[in-house]
Amino acid sequence: MTAETAPAPSDPDLSMGLRLQARQRHERSLEFLRVGAVWLVLILALTLALTQLRIEPGYLIRRSEVVLKIVGGLWTTILVSLVSVSIAAGLALVGALGRLSANPIAQGISGFYVSVIRGTPLLIQIYIIYLGLPQIGLQLQAAGFRQLGQLFILDAITSGVLALSLNYGAYMTEIFRAGLQSIPHGQWEAAEAIGMTRWQILRRIILPQAIRIIIPDVGNQFIAMQKDSALVSVMGVWEITYLANRSARLDSKYMELFLVAAGLYWLLTIVSTFFQSRLEKRMATAYER
Amino acid sequence: MSAETTGPEAIVQVAHLHKWFGLLHVLRDISLTVQPREVVVLIGRSGSGKSTFLRCLNFLEQPSAGTITVAGNRLHLEPGDRPARAHVAALRLCTGMVFQEFNLFPHMTALENVIEGLVTVKKLAKTAAVPIGERYLAKVGLLDKKDVHPIRLSGGQKQRVAIARALAMEPQVMLFDEPTSALDPELIGEVLEVMKQLAREGTTMLVVTHEMQFAREVADRVIYMEAGAIVEQGEPDVIFTRPADPRTRQFLERII
Ligand SMILES: Nc1ncnc2c1ncn2[C@@H]1O[C@H](COP(=O)(O)OP(=O)(O)OP(=O)(O)O)[C@@H](O)[C@H]1O
Ligand SMILES: [Mg+2]
Repeated sequence: MTAETAPAPSDPDLSMGLRLQARQRHERSLEFLRVGAVWLVLILALTLALTQLRIEPGYLIRRSEVVLKIVGGLWTTILVSLVSVSIAAGLALVGALGRLSANPIAQGISGFYVSVIRGTPLLIQIYIIYLGLPQIGLQLQAAGFRQLGQLFILDAITSGVLALSLNYGAYMTEIFRAGLQSIPHGQWEAAEAIGMTRWQILRRIILPQAIRIIIPDVGNQFIAMQKDSALVSVMGVWEITYLANRSARLDSKYMELFLVAAGLYWLLTIVSTFFQSRLEKRMATAYER
Repeated sequence: MSAETTGPEAIVQVAHLHKWFGLLHVLRDISLTVQPREVVVLIGRSGSGKSTFLRCLNFLEQPSAGTITVAGNRLHLEPGDRPARAHVAALRLCTGMVFQEFNLFPHMTALENVIEGLVTVKKLAKTAAVPIGERYLAKVGLLDKKDVHPIRLSGGQKQRVAIARALAMEPQVMLFDEPTSALDPELIGEVLEVMKQLAREGTTMLVVTHEMQFAREVADRVIYMEAGAIVEQGEPDVIFTRPADPRTRQFLERII
């Protein structure tokens, strides 16, 4: 879109402004093309180098059904991440309220949760939930608590979602806490002055404003989680990493298939980043009408 | 601590109010009675405790000791007492407050700001709250801005919406803490005009302000505070032209 397509304005200031704006846009798209070209060259160079090292891109075409199977794992990865990030957000909200509460029990529990989870590796948490908990479940069942014991024996996907939710919930607790604390104190006072209770103020005044502030960080957490979800492959969940690993072993095509997996994660990140920035833009204008 | 109902003669009755911030004795034995329809203006230098006093009246700040009675709701605190939540809620329902920084809710339109208390605190249905909200927005001259978010309002308009928000709860007394101090000079007039109108209609008001002209015109009584105590009070004519206390005189000489 350039100044020529708009009706020629009579105001000389305006037409100069439009011309400058068009030129700026033009320069920006040129720069974008140049950077894109560099990326393309990088990818081509890498591909070339790999083919020189007897890595066969042709294999991916010959055995396209293997590739498609890995692509199918995308849905599991997306599903696990989406469910986990939602549960994590719920946990984080409760955790943040606990940390900010005056109640020592709430404060103690949420502080303990954040400290323990952030102080231990995600992989260990996955093992504890998937392999450790059933041990307790079996003990309970042996002691005659059949139903209760069954609760501790989780399938792979449930374990993965639980581990990711608990883990990210702890990190996001701190994000939510910072978001809640960033709302000016005057908002609390104005709401108190019209007689609102603490809980009403949180729900109707503070949270809606805090969520806007938190959204970009939650988006980043979601993107990070898509990649951390690769860890649930250790339990044999059929997501991208597990499928790539399994197929690669069969044909000894590790580099080829792990590159496919890497590409899928990358693509997922790019798409998510795109939606995230659109959401952020929409949120930024939400107060204006 | 106790809560009981007293006679209807005075709207605000404060007796022996004290406030400490840590070791800082900010309010020192303040007693004050405000009659219905009275406009009381508080003046005094920065740090004299004017804001703290207003904020103690609706418990945004918890008084350390003393008795506060607003519209028959009496709350007596001994040092170390914690007031019951219900008593605080009752006090807040009969006071409306306007802040220096407006403190509008940015995620709500002007109308939503005004009806928020009606809906969440007074539990009115939205259909019942909206006409009330519109009435108060019209009163401050901003009905045409009802669907606008605060970010789109000027400072003076924001403060008028904030006044409408407080009025909509129909409190027995309005507290103003330097309502025009955050405004550009050309926007002060419109806010003072709304306050004058309220005064004419008989709204009971306690106003902290540096607008001496407004105090002269509108106040029934002017109170000079210093170091957490009431030094002198009287009709504006008397206070502004022949104050009895040398401290009042000195303060007025400095600012006029
Ligand atoms: N939350 C607080 N914690 C500690 N000290 C406080 C607090 N709020 C106010 N003070 C102190 O109490 C004293 C009275 O403050 P206050 O805000 O009531 O004065 P003011 O008369 O309203 O002044 P100004 O004209 O600047 O608004 C000041 O010394 C101030 O520093
Ligand atoms: Mg003040």
